Amino acid sequence: MSGRVIVITSGKGGVGKTTASANIGVALANTGASVCLVDMDIGLRNLDILMGLENRVVYNLVDVVEERCKLRQALVKDKRMPNLSLLPAAQTRDKTAVNSDQMKKLCLELKAIFDFVLIDSPAGIESGFQNAVAGAEEAIVITTPEMSAVRDADRIIGLLEARKDEITQYRLVLNRIRPKMVANSDMMGVEDVLEILSIQLLGAVPEDEDIIISTNKGEPVSGTDNTKSGLAFRNIARRLRGEEVPFMDMNAKNDTWVTRIANFFNPVRV
Amino acid sequence: MSKIAIISQPDQGVLIDVGGCASMQEAVSHLSSTLQVSSQFWKGVNVALNLGDLELNSTQVAHILALAKGVGVYPYQVFAQRAITREALSEHSVNLGVGKPMTLPAMTIKVPENIEIPTEDWEESESGFEDQDVSIFYESSENIFIDEEVPADDLNFAPPGVLADQTASTTEGAENSAPSITQASNALGAATAPAAAPAKATNTVVPASNIMYLRQTLRSGQCVSHKGHLIVIGDVNPGAEVMAEGDITVWGSLRGIAHAGVGGNNDCEIRALRLQPIQIRIGDAFARSPDRSNLVSYTAAIGPETARVVDGKIKVFRFSPG
Repeated sequence: MSGRVIVITSGKGGVGKTTASANIGVALANTGASVCLVDMDIGLRNLDILMGLENRVVYNLVDVVEERCKLRQALVKDKRMPNLSLLPAAQTRDKTAVNSDQMKKLCLELKAIFDFVLIDSPAGIESGFQNAVAGAEEAIVITTPEMSAVRDADRIIGLLEARKDEITQYRLVLNRIRPKMVANSDMMGVEDVLEILSIQLLGAVPEDEDIIISTNKGEPVSGTDNTKSGLAFRNIARRLRGEEVPFMDMNAKNDTWVTRIANFFNPVRV
Repeated sequence: MSKIAIISQPDQGVLIDVGGCASMQEAVSHLSSTLQVSSQFWKGVNVALNLGDLELNSTQVAHILALAKGVGVYPYQVFAQRAITREALSEHSVNLGVGKPMTLPAMTIKVPENIEIPTEDWEESESGFEDQDVSIFYESSENIFIDEEVPADDLNFAPPGVLADQTASTTEGAENSAPSITQASNALGAATAPAAAPAKATNTVVPASNIMYLRQTLRSGQCVSHKGHLIVIGDVNPGAEVMAEGDITVWGSLRGIAHAGVGGNNDCEIRALRLQPIQIRIGDAFARSPDRSNLVSYTAAIGPETARVVDGKIKVFRFSPG
């Protein structure tokens, strides 16, 4: 078995890399694939908290790389799904604790076990980012509809293009969209961002308060049925598996009672 | 486990070990954060430094020495394995370490392999890292009381007289053997001693005198380990780690990871004013906090508690004086 190694990266911090990693991981696992989430944010690890697995972490990625434990000892099995595992980052170390060659080797080992290996990259474009992309074959670039985040995403895409021998495909996830602000031209919409970045869209995720609740609970939203953002992440997972899924309608321009009634009878496909 | 350690022993002073770091940058970043952990603490302490396997040139050695000097640390000896590093150290007329630097024993927690067989069909591979196999639940303190749950004999209670003597010597010993470290700990020594009293504080193998006081809140990513009993006067935040060969006492909130009895001493204890750890490890026993479905409330206080190993499992007891 040879799985797909996908790095999730953004350049800018705080745009939702870790949230997206957790949610896409859970959604992929829900489709039946075996998934390993790898937290590469050494020294600032968060993925275990979002997954609600913090209390199960004993060994971590650096322990594996430095051969203090076996890979399988460091993998934390998700408490909800047996086909989802987490390889946590070390908290008391920093980004220099691993190098690119070690990451390549680790990714080879992981993809022999799992269908999907999702690597949560740290913010920035320095060694942490370089290590995170070292073993990857595909990339998901996360950005939000803000000028600064888009600028950083553009920089990241440039760096990924420079690695096109290794990274064969990179797609965009536009996160935290507020349809009303887009409608009022106070925020860039999906088309605006795609215009700048000219990159294939993998998914668009609306801003959602449920994300905050789920983060605190340690239960990613894509595992529950009734959230907008959860649905968006599940669609992303399906697209990653090759399904054709229509994009969510983020357009709130026509949000009047007439259109609401119309939508009631003719629901917007998401 | 962190690759930097503060290890202290009364007769050898304190050793800062950066030997596990992979690179100069990592060593420097760890060293600076370690030194900041306890800048108060370093004054007047004999500090040795272990550079382990690092290959450093003269400039890099100067950088590290300057870092130490910044917080008033002048290493009386520096251990290094590489010839280049030793040469560089000699250039700066630093005493090279003689013999082997102090080390903490390795972690002995037994963690089974998470996924036994790389089967293609995941539904069938049932074996794995299940809670019942490894984790002993860190039970809520609400329902366990030492008097009711466990007969006194099982816990090897010392007779009251002996206990009093032991606790007294513990406190006294600490102050005698490492006066520079325990500067401001008179009141605290007295305060922490009774906390040990209802437990079997007397039968741990670590010498009673080997205590490190750390007057500092440990934040995420900071890690302190000690070859002896460790007393933190401050909080241990989530993401921070404290390790000791002996007991760990936190005069504050313990919310990170604590590992007492590193090396396999299951008789050690972990106690804190607020015991809310992510994980606790005692000897080779391991317990994790219960899964919560809601936001963790750090402000809900239960009161001082002690964790110890009973029948191979870590249990938490509410501390009640007398």
